[in-house]
Amino acid sequence: MGRKKKKQMKPWCWYCNRDFDDEKILIQHQKAKHFKCHICHKKLYTGPGLAIHCMQVHKETIDGVPNAIPGRTDIELEIYGMEGIPEKDMEERRRVLEQKNQETQKKKQNQDDSDEYDDEDEPGPSFQQPAAGQPQAGYIPSMSQPGMPPGSGAPGIPPGSYSGHSPYRMIPMGGMLPPGPGMPPMMAGVPPGMPPPVAHRPGITHMAQVPPAANMLTRPAVPAATVPSAQPDVTKPLFPIAGQSQQTVSGSPHPPPSTSSDPSKPTFPAYTQATVAVVSPNSGSSTVSKPPSTVTSKPATLTTSSATSKLIHPDEDISLEELRAQLPRYQRSVPRQAQSTATAPSMGPVGGMISPQQPGMRHPLPGQYGGPPQGMPGYMPGGMPPYGQAPPVVPPGFQGAPPRPPMGMRPPVMSPGGRY
Amino acid sequence: MSLFGTNAGFGTGGTGVFGNATTDSHNPMKDVEVTSPPDDSISCLAFSPPTMPGNFLIGGSWANDVRCWEVQDNGQTVPKAQQMHTGPVLDACWSDDGSKVFTASCDKTAKMWDLNSNQAMQIAQHDGPIKAIHWIKAPNYSCIMTGSWDKTLKFWDTRSPNPMMSLQMPERCYCADVVYPMAVVATAERGLIVYQLENQPSEFRRIDSPLKHQHRCVAIFKDKQNKPTGFALGSIEGRVAIHYINPPNPAKDNFTFKCHRSNGTNTTTPQDIYAVNAISFHPVHGTLATVGSDGRFSFWDKDARTKLKTSEQLDQPITACCFNHNGNIFAYASSYDWSKGHEYYNPQKKNYIFLRNAAEELKPRNKK
Repeated sequence: MGRKKKKQMKPWCWYCNRDFDDEKILIQHQKAKHFKCHICHKKLYTGPGLAIHCMQVHKETIDGVPNAIPGRTDIELEIYGMEGIPEKDMEERRRVLEQKNQETQKKKQNQDDSDEYDDEDEPGPSFQQPAAGQPQAGYIPSMSQPGMPPGSGAPGIPPGSYSGHSPYRMIPMGGMLPPGPGMPPMMAGVPPGMPPPVAHRPGITHMAQVPPAANMLTRPAVPAATVPSAQPDVTKPLFPIAGQSQQTVSGSPHPPPSTSSDPSKPTFPAYTQATVAVVSPNSGSSTVSKPPSTVTSKPATLTTSSATSKLIHPDEDISLEELRAQLPRYQRSVPRQAQSTATAPSMGPVGGMISPQQPGMRHPLPGQYGGPPQGMPGYMPGGMPPYGQAPPVVPPGFQGAPPRPPMGMRPPVMSPGGRY
Repeated sequence: MSLFGTNAGFGTGGTGVFGNATTDSHNPMKDVEVTSPPDDSISCLAFSPPTMPGNFLIGGSWANDVRCWEVQDNGQTVPKAQQMHTGPVLDACWSDDGSKVFTASCDKTAKMWDLNSNQAMQIAQHDGPIKAIHWIKAPNYSCIMTGSWDKTLKFWDTRSPNPMMSLQMPERCYCADVVYPMAVVATAERGLIVYQLENQPSEFRRIDSPLKHQHRCVAIFKDKQNKPTGFALGSIEGRVAIHYINPPNPAKDNFTFKCHRSNGTNTTTPQDIYAVNAISFHPVHGTLATVGSDGRFSFWDKDARTKLKTSEQLDQPITACCFNHNGNIFAYASSYDWSKGHEYYNPQKKNYIFLRNAAEELKPRNKK
C-alpha cells in the first residue's frame, strides 16, 4: 500500500467487513458482491450508482446494498474501495483489529504441541499474553489496580505485575510462556486472596505477607526453563491456604475465587490442564463455536451475517437422526436387545419378530441411548435357545457359537431355516 | 428372491418413471427409479465392491429394514433380499469381498448379513444407537468399526462378542468414513477426529472444525497416488469444507464452499440454507457429489474449485447417495430427513432411490 495515511491496515470492505490483500481485489469484490444488479447482473461502481441504474433501466428501487451486513446496507453512501468510509467506522475497525492482534499474539505465545490444548490455553494465557506481548508500560496501569476482581483481574494482575516490575522481567515472562499452561496458573494463583503483588522488586520484601507471590516472582525470574517443573513445587508451598485449595482443587475443576468460567481457569494451575482435557470438546471449538455449543438449543436461529438467511433445520442442537429417533414410533423395538437380535435377522422364514418376552421388556427409552444395555452382547447366533440366555449377562463366548460353525460364525454353512 | 412384501411393482424392472407421466417433481431429473424402495426414509446407500461381479445396491431405512437390489446393466433393478433390525437402520457397508453386508441400527446393534445364505447375525453392541459402520481391511487385521451416540468408537472382530478395541470420543458420533489407513469421525459439538489404522486403530489427531455449524457428513478423498489425503466435511449450514491432513499450505489448500442454498441474491428475500446430508467421491475422477435437504444434488470439482452441475429440485430432501465401484452409477435417495421437524413428515409419502449415469457428468474440469 503506497499511501501511509489512508490505511495502515489492510483494505477491508465496509459492507461486509471482509479483509483483502489489495485494494484492487477489494474493489472487484465490491463490484461483484455489492454493486451488482440482481436483475441484469451489470456491475456498477458504487452503491448510489447501482440504485440509479436499477431505477433508470429497470424502473426498480432497491432498499439496501446486496450482501451487506446489517447496519452497513446504506445505499446512499458513496463508497469505493476504501474511499468514502465514514471516519467512525474506520476507527471502530482499527479498534477491533487491535483487539484481534492482541488475541493472536496471546495465542501465538501459547502454542502448544498438541492441538487439543490450543484453545484451552486461550483463556488461560490470554491474560498473560498481553503482559508478555506488550510493553511493560501497558501493564503498569493494570498493576495499579489492586482491586481488580479476581475473576478477570486476577489473571491479569499477576502477569501484569511481573512485567510491570522491570524490563528484564519481560524476558523471563516471555521465556516462561512457552511452557504456557503451566505459567498462567502459577501467577493466577497469586491473586486469589492476595493483595496484588504490585510494586517492584522492592515489593518483594513486603511480599513477605504474600509469600506466594514473592516466590512466584522470584522463581519465574530465575530459570525460565524450570518454570514448568517449578510449578508443582511452587504452587503447593506457595499457597499454604490457597495451596491446599489448589491441591484439593487439582482434582476438581472448580475455581475458588473467580466466578467467571474462563478467566478462572488459569488460577488453578494444578488442574488447569486437567480441566483443559475435560473442557476440550467444547472449548476446542472455542471462539468460533461458542455460539453453537453454548446455545445448545438453537442452531437454527444462527442466522448468517449477510442478507438475512434461514437455516432449514429444527431448533434443537442435535442431529436430525437423534431428533427423529426420539419419536415413539421409532422406539417400538429398541428395548428388546437380546431377544430381538435372535429373531430379527432371519426375516424370511421367521417372518418378523417373535417376541416371547418382548412385551415385558418395553421400557420405553426416552432418549436413544444411555440405557439399560448393561453390555449384553446378546450374541445369539442360533435362534431358539438364546432367548433364554439373553438376560443373563455376557453369554460366554456367545452361546451357540460352539455348536455353530466356530469359525467366525460363517452362516453360509448353517442351515437356513430360521436360525436366527 | 425375496419378499419386499409391502411394495407393489415387484418385478416391473423400474426403468424410467413409475407410471407418473406428469412432470412429477418427485423425479425431475428423469433418473431410473429403483423398484420396491423402502417404506420409510432411506438413511444410507452403498454399492457392492469391485470384487463382486455386477452391481448390487443396499439401502437401509427408518422402516428398520435393509434391502438389497441387483442393478443390471440395462438399468433394471431387481430386489434381491431384505433383513430387519428392531430399530431404524442408520448405516450399512459391504465387506471387501462383497459377501457380507454390515448394518448398524438404532437398536444399538450391528449385524453381519451373509448374502449367500441370507442369514444375519449380531456382531456388535453399543449403549446407544450406532450411527456409522465401516469395514476395515488392513494387511494384518480386518474388522468392523462402529461409531455410536454413546460416544464410543468400537472395533469388532466379527467372531467375538467383545470389541477388539473401544475408543472414547468427546461426543456422539455423527458420521464417519474409512479409507485405509485413515479414518475420520465427526461428532456432535463440531468434534473432528482422525484415526490411523495401521497395526491397530489409534487416534491420530483432533482437528479444529473448519465449519461453524453442526457436522453432518464426511467423506475421505484420495490423492493421485490413491492414498487418503483429506476429507470433505458437510454441515447443516449448507457448506462443505475440504480439508487436507498435511497440506503444504493449509491456509490456501483448505477451503470451504457454500452449497444447497436457495437463491437469495435478492437483498430482500432471506436465503434458505439447507443441510448437506451426504457427500460421496467419485472413485475414478475424484470429483464429489453432495446431496442436501433442499432436494438437490450437486457435483463439484474440488481441485478446480468449481461446481460441475446442480440438479433440479426434487420434492423431498435427498438423504443419501453413493457411487458404484467404477463410478458409472450415481445413486441417490429421496425421502424426508426431518429438516423441517415432525410436522412435515408424511408417512404416506413414497420414498425413492434413483440411479443416474455418472460417467460423464463427473469428469473434472480442466484447471485454468
